[in-house]
Amino acid sequence: MDGMDKKIVMVVEDETLLLSAIEKKLTASGYQVIPCTSGEEALSFLSTATKMPSVIWLDYYLGGMDANGFVKQLKKDEKTAHIPVVIVSNSASEEKKKEMLALGVTRYILKAQYKLDDIMTILEEEMKSN
Amino acid sequence: MPDDPISPTNQSTLPSDEFIEINQQLNSKNRELIEVNARHATILENIGDCVVVVNNNGQVTYINEQVEAVTGYKNTDIVGKYFLQVLHLVDEKGVEIPFEKNPMRNALFQNTKVASNDCFYKRSNGTTFAASIIATPIHLGNVVIGGVNTFRDVTHERDIDRMKTEFISLASHQLRTPLSAMKWFSEILLDGDAGPLSTEQKEIVTNINQSNERMIELVNTLLNISRIESGRIIIEPKPTNLKQLVDEVVLELRPKLDAKKHNLVISIHDVLPDIMLDAKLVRHVYMNLLTNAIKYTPEGGQIMVLISKSGNEIISQVSDDGYGIPKDQQEKVFSKFFRAKNIISVETDGTGLGLYLTKAIVESSGGKIWFESTPKEDPPKPDAKHGTTFWFILPFYGTQKKIGEVSIDS
Repeated sequence: MDGMDKKIVMVVEDETLLLSAIEKKLTASGYQVIPCTSGEEALSFLSTATKMPSVIWLDYYLGGMDANGFVKQLKKDEKTAHIPVVIVSNSASEEKKKEMLALGVTRYILKAQYKLDDIMTILEEEMKSN
Repeated sequence: MPDDPISPTNQSTLPSDEFIEINQQLNSKNRELIEVNARHATILENIGDCVVVVNNNGQVTYINEQVEAVTGYKNTDIVGKYFLQVLHLVDEKGVEIPFEKNPMRNALFQNTKVASNDCFYKRSNGTTFAASIIATPIHLGNVVIGGVNTFRDVTHERDIDRMKTEFISLASHQLRTPLSAMKWFSEILLDGDAGPLSTEQKEIVTNINQSNERMIELVNTLLNISRIESGRIIIEPKPTNLKQLVDEVVLELRPKLDAKKHNLVISIHDVLPDIMLDAKLVRHVYMNLLTNAIKYTPEGGQIMVLISKSGNEIISQVSDDGYGIPKDQQEKVFSKFFRAKNIISVETDGTGLGLYLTKAIVESSGGKIWFESTPKEDPPKPDAKHGTTFWFILPFYGTQKKIGEVSIDS
């Protein structure tokens, strides 16, 4: 597939080591990746972007605004409100999970439990159902 | 009474040497009693626990200094009063513990030692403290003549225990970031996304990846233990089909069963209705017992799962004809980090936390767990039976719902 047809995945993860592993795997699997290390950086990118990502991979705990703040902003703007969001976090308390699903997040998964391959399958499912 | 406790009124009628001998014996017995009393008084005043002694009516006859220091009451506020009326026992919300649940009352009425670790005493200023209490009846022959109530303030211990649990939880969550990095980078290498690997390189990276998976499992187990120990776990019973639950567990374990060529027999009570259970919790119990049976049985073993109903209980049995547990180590089976000597070298992979967690889960679900085991002898005797059977019971009418803050596997 050529550059124009590649599906775009935005990845918001403040651990640069993890971000580089995710980017490497997604790129090798044929996705175009927008790596961001904070929610603020991701929102500022989206505000000027001409082509929206097909899905957003979001860490819960981030340096600045957390996933809750980020998703609230995302849902406010009709340009970005429709983008499916998958949260990949270090901890998934029922309370947090419920709170994020109520905000419109489509999936909430535990980081260390999933292989990158499995997470890519989940991202694909979310892109398709959108 | 004169200094000499013997009052010699009939002195003149006794032969003088006989009287002197009795007098000496009484004097020496008296001295012994005074000595014993002095020793006991010093012991009672200097031990760290609070000691309250009551008569058989429940009136306080003695308190040691610790009681004054810990409760704020003076000796004169308590001694002579009815114990249950001066020292108030409350629950964590400050609600008075009913009379019939009071440890001292029950020790006297049921004539048995009673321990309690979940109540709070009210101090003279109205504040409360968590207490560990032991109440014991005092016997004279077969008659109860009173009781002893000892207690200590366990607030500090509780705080330390909570801090330990919080520390494990925090540390475990922090560990997940580097563990994810190792998991994902080794996956990238193994998938060839960073160029092809030689056979040897692939083997090495696979080893790294597998060790990392063990570490992830260990962190998950530690987190689950800290959740259960903290008492903050959510229990959400829903109608659960046990057959379906066991089938799902077996499906997940199928590769391990097949790799060791074990034969698995499952027998479940025909007309078992759905039971109100937290499936996420109970699933752990079957998963752990079956994983152990598979691991600790040599190739070609016979593993059995039986689920039946007896009265108001659902009995599950998981048995194997494996290595068994050495008799002298059986009492430690449910302890944290315990691994039996005979399997450490056979199966290096193991945390010693599985059965500890399993027992905690069964008990939090209102059940009980126990086992019987006959170890395989070395050298093995022909036809000698060996292996382990675990049983656990769950209430047929289901587990009680518990509103908590955390759920398992999160």
